[in-house]
Amino acid sequence: MKSSSLLLRSLATAALFVSFASCSENLDSSGVCSVLCPPVGGDVQNVTLDAVVFDTTVQSLSGLGTEPGLLLASRGDTLDTRVVIRFDSLPAIFAPKGDTVRPITRVDSAYVQLRIDTLSIKGAGPVTIEAYDVDTTANDTSSAPVLALFRPDRFISSQSFNRADLKDTLRYYISNAAVLAKIQNKAQLRIGLRATGSSSSQMRIVSTEGGAPPLLSFRATPDTATGPLIVVPFSRTPTGESIIASHLSDYTVIAKSPPAGTPSNLDVGGLPPRRVYVRFNIPASIIDSATVVRATLLLNQIPNSSLDPTDTVLILPALVLAGKAVTDPTKASQIVADIALDTLKVTPGDAGLKQVELARAFSVWRTQSPDATARAIVLKTFTEGNSPLEIRFSSSEDVLALRPRLRISYTSRVPLGIP
Amino acid sequence: MRTLIVAALAMVIIGSRGDAQGALSTQGLGYPTGQMSARAEGTGGAVSDFDALSLVSPASIAGVGGSALFFQYSPEFRRVTAGSSTANTLTARFPLVAGILPMGQAWTLGLSSSTFLDRSSETSLVRRQLVGADSVNEIETNKVLGAINDVRFALAWAGSPALRVGGGFHVFSGSNRVNLSQMFPDSAKYISTFQSARLSYAGFAASLGFEFHPSRAIGFAISGRKGGDLTAESGDTAIGRARLPDHYSASVSYDGITGANISARVAHDAWSSLNSFGATSVRAFDSWDYSVGAEASGPRVMQRIIVMRAGARFRTLPFGFNGQKVSETSLMAGLGVPLARDRAAFDFTVQRAGRSAGGDIKERGLVLSFGLRVSP
Repeated sequence: MKSSSLLLRSLATAALFVSFASCSENLDSSGVCSVLCPPVGGDVQNVTLDAVVFDTTVQSLSGLGTEPGLLLASRGDTLDTRVVIRFDSLPAIFAPKGDTVRPITRVDSAYVQLRIDTLSIKGAGPVTIEAYDVDTTANDTSSAPVLALFRPDRFISSQSFNRADLKDTLRYYISNAAVLAKIQNKAQLRIGLRATGSSSSQMRIVSTEGGAPPLLSFRATPDTATGPLIVVPFSRTPTGESIIASHLSDYTVIAKSPPAGTPSNLDVGGLPPRRVYVRFNIPASIIDSATVVRATLLLNQIPNSSLDPTDTVLILPALVLAGKAVTDPTKASQIVADIALDTLKVTPGDAGLKQVELARAFSVWRTQSPDATARAIVLKTFTEGNSPLEIRFSSSEDVLALRPRLRISYTSRVPLGIP
Repeated sequence: MRTLIVAALAMVIIGSRGDAQGALSTQGLGYPTGQMSARAEGTGGAVSDFDALSLVSPASIAGVGGSALFFQYSPEFRRVTAGSSTANTLTARFPLVAGILPMGQAWTLGLSSSTFLDRSSETSLVRRQLVGADSVNEIETNKVLGAINDVRFALAWAGSPALRVGGGFHVFSGSNRVNLSQMFPDSAKYISTFQSARLSYAGFAASLGFEFHPSRAIGFAISGRKGGDLTAESGDTAIGRARLPDHYSASVSYDGITGANISARVAHDAWSSLNSFGATSVRAFDSWDYSVGAEASGPRVMQRIIVMRAGARFRTLPFGFNGQKVSETSLMAGLGVPLARDRAAFDFTVQRAGRSAGGDIKERGLVLSFGLRVSP
């Protein structure tokens, strides 16, 4: 082959290679941006506004039994909560292994299996859990008639546990006779649990809503070849309201709780659970014409040392979706959406400035008219209804320096036009 | 001689590959690619007034010979150096497509489209911003894609071998898609912002060209394009109006050496007419464009005569940097290969451009142009 032909082929090959190699565009010339790239976007402006036009503490109306946990606590004069588990449907017959179905005439090894959140356990001393028959025809959502049934003539059983016995799965044995009596009388078994002991104790039991309901287990025959019967919590009442009845299959009853803060404070958490409702008036010039980069609700925390002042509480801001027609802030505070706002970590005993990040709320408010939907948020605890801890903040009724304020960081939109 | 040309071509290719790329040239509305074919680029642009495939003089299409379709790909490798900082980029361009149809002995019709101003660029900048009570790094990314294109309908007349006359009607259209994002580090605290805009351009111009060949050895060409209004819109809103820059050029070509052609060209573009767009951040300057080049029959390879080309060009770019003109000096070399019994031709040009606006910012560009002409 002539050298010129070889050269031509080599050049053609090189040209083909280069053309393929240059098909993938790379326009990024950031390496020299310190000299050649003047900033295009606007500078961030920071402004702090007294934008809170209304704030108040409201009750969480999520409903009895909706919590993912059941709080069983005995904290002396400060906190006393009980747990009710309803087994309104008990089996009347069973099938022995290799035999025909027959009525249940005896009960053996009856226990309630409880799933314990071991991280929630308070108190190092032994705890005694007493069980009472709390079946009543009183109003389902009334606590007082149920609490009145924790008395000696309703006593079913008692079992003591050392701290080391409190594992994530706990068998709480109850009276076989009590279970059998309910079965034979075709009655509903509603068990109330109370913690007692010489020292304080507190634990969270996973509820039906938490995904691991308490289970009643018993044997109808001593023959171990026949498996035990397992009964899940079930509530027949209130009749015709299946959702509420479902929640009431297991729930917490508050016998005593720490005193709430003063009405002029903003209180989050506690028992019964409370939320804080805050409504803003934000200048249209910021909402409509600027791009909000960060928004922070500045709150002054008031120390609350009544219970576990050094425990961590997570406060979750939520966006109020209620329209203007919902004028009651308590009701409006139930119509909310979590929009991945940042979580605030606080301890009840802490004090001073706390910052709640709200930037994502502005993304929604930009698209909504304040005449249709109030620009409001709700503060609630992550363990709402499951923890007695309460966080307190100064409200807009407090002195000027301690009132809630809104700090907004924004950039102005730049015209992307002809350079 | 042949060996020298080949060696020079190889040196340009090898020597340029390692250091070439940049961003001084993407100021303002973008980089003017020149609207020349790969063949014309090989001569530094000196033959572009005589080159039928270039979108410069409408008279030149009369010299096309047979009907032709032409397509060109021109990637540019750039390197910008500012002090100790460098940036390397690769811009893939398809700057020219043309179709030319002779209609009888005297008339020729042409429809061409070329990139007029290419604004494609991307930059990322880290800025320190005070957001609330915290000082954080914000990454600002600005990306622009798109170009203004020149679509020309041309008609040329060649009444005699000595004279060619042509006229063209130009439609300028195109768009720039502009994206600006400001990214902040913690999405739980901060919201990153994103802005987008699409700028569209529309304008008209007319061009006229003459070629005069008093003898077989020498030829002269002059051409001009008169710009009309160019409007810019963002969405449905007009955001600017300016006159398209007038363009004038004059060339001389000498064919007195057998198998060789030497050309020279001077051109002027009144880019400053774009200043009336109203934007103030970048100023446009009128520019002069000088070029000289030659092409010669080279070695015969596989029964084909390879055409070798070389040229040089000096011009200023339309949009300045920091108020200073950006100058561009280019050296080109290339070759042309006839294919399919002269029913097709492949042109390849390598161009090494150096750009500067004074100061210590330097830009090097290595532009490879691949042109394929087919005669159906």
